Amino acid sequence: MRNMSARGALQLAVIAAFGLLFVLPLWWVSISAFRPEDDIFRYLNPLSLWTFFPNRVTFEHIVTLWTSPFARAIFNSLFVAIATVAGGLVVCTLAAFALAVIEFPGRSLVFTIMIVSFLIPFDAIAVPLYNVMRGFGLQNSYLGLILPGIGNGLTVFLLRQFFLGLPSDLREAGMIDGMGYFQIFWRIYLPLSVPALISAGLIMFIFQWQAYLWPLLIAPATEYKVAAVAIAQFSSAYDVNFGVIFAGAMFVSLIPMVILVAFQQYFTTSVAATGGKE
Amino acid sequence: MTRNKKLLWALLFLAPAIISVIILRLWPALMALHESLLAPRASTYSFENYTYIFSDPVFRGSLWTTLFYSVIVNPLQIAVALGLALLMNNKLPTTGFWRTLILLPVAIPQSVSAVVWSVGFRPDGLINALLGMFGIGEQRFLTSPEQALACIIIMVSWVGVGYWMTFLIAGLQDIPKSLYEAVTIDGANSWQRFRYVTLPQLRRPLTFVLVADTVANFLVFAPVQILTKGGPQGSTNLIMNEVYTRAFLSGDKGSAAAATVVLVLMVLIIVLLQFRLMSDKGAD
Repeated sequence: MRNMSARGALQLAVIAAFGLLFVLPLWWVSISAFRPEDDIFRYLNPLSLWTFFPNRVTFEHIVTLWTSPFARAIFNSLFVAIATVAGGLVVCTLAAFALAVIEFPGRSLVFTIMIVSFLIPFDAIAVPLYNVMRGFGLQNSYLGLILPGIGNGLTVFLLRQFFLGLPSDLREAGMIDGMGYFQIFWRIYLPLSVPALISAGLIMFIFQWQAYLWPLLIAPATEYKVAAVAIAQFSSAYDVNFGVIFAGAMFVSLIPMVILVAFQQYFTTSVAATGGKE
Repeated sequence: MTRNKKLLWALLFLAPAIISVIILRLWPALMALHESLLAPRASTYSFENYTYIFSDPVFRGSLWTTLFYSVIVNPLQIAVALGLALLMNNKLPTTGFWRTLILLPVAIPQSVSAVVWSVGFRPDGLINALLGMFGIGEQRFLTSPEQALACIIIMVSWVGVGYWMTFLIAGLQDIPKSLYEAVTIDGANSWQRFRYVTLPQLRRPLTFVLVADTVANFLVFAPVQILTKGGPQGSTNLIMNEVYTRAFLSGDKGSAAAATVVLVLMVLIIVLLQFRLMSDKGAD
């Protein structure tokens, strides 16, 4: 470490301590997924090196996990999250474009109503929404899982901000070339918005991957159960197998973590854009 | 292009979003309002369900628990997030790596975190083992009415701190260096630099984080349902769990709808604040 003051070293020690504290549960989950069931609690009291490093390694929990209905749940979660991103991007970019580019009467009112309604997390209205969706016969269906996630206030807001930031010369040039709004949207705005689209997609993916209350209500059947629900029900089963729970927790965490780390820079941008910066 | 033609185009672009807002948000909200006003035995609208829930000690207890929880969890998360953001802003070597580690739990579903922590909080779990290292005896954690809410606060903070920290780091990076240089020339120490430059400059992101964090924590459900089911003795019966219990376990539709309306109104107030903060940027 080059030229670090004692103060800097102390600060770094505090940061590192927090980093380790935050990653400790994840570490414990991951190593427990690879050790025999008998070993998981054996080395906790007293603490030793073997609390945090497995001395016997097994893949039995991983195999059990992937041959159980849980594999289906992981697939369901992935499918629902990806479909939400796709559908949500269509709905939200179209809306954001109209709210940023087309000057129509009542625009700011529509903007306010839309963002505020979408900002209310749908968990708050999960109970009446469940009654509405049941009326449409959408219980235990992918559509029922996906639909509530496609309207996202942060996403519309983020995309509109981004569109507002693009120079108006662009669309004026398009107009002169005889382009309609749809062509301007499709051929000028979308190609320039890839970073914003990635940020928006990331928000919706993580949001849908984490959903718990809604899938619990609308899709309780094994066929449509998502991973976040499946793992909770695993853990309350009568004969709990902790190794399998930990293996499941590891995979359910790993997938969004890989995506988050890969796109961390877009995540930070989206945060900066929606976070009330000056 | 004429005004009408513009309006037509706008409606075309907005149609999917407007339909989703109506079907997925406004319509269910109206349904809840309608049901909440239909008392079990009355044939006309009345406030019977509301007077009933507000006289019910369980519902009132859940409101108080939610309030108490909010007053603790939000400042705690923001204080830790701010402290970490300030440390990370010094750009010491390897900071980026630790920052990623702290951000990792953000990606994990709360239900998974709850399952993991439920094992950690077991009497023979990891946390008692760590405390034992410091000579602290075995704690009851989730089965203790005094400790259960604290356990939930710790768990949701593990998930939340990295997220809010990211907002505050973005805010810190926006503060012009020249401001710090100016007060340093005037002989300000590091506390004064924080008090007179950082805090005022960070006001907007801090307010945003406070508001957004409050909404998020208001609707915490998975940890409660998985870890404690509202117990022991109602000590963790946060409002979302109360609504869920009324609607799906007690099957009391009218009072569940009334509780939902109360919940939505409270969230709406905070969300309106959040929206104002997002919209009028820079207008102090």
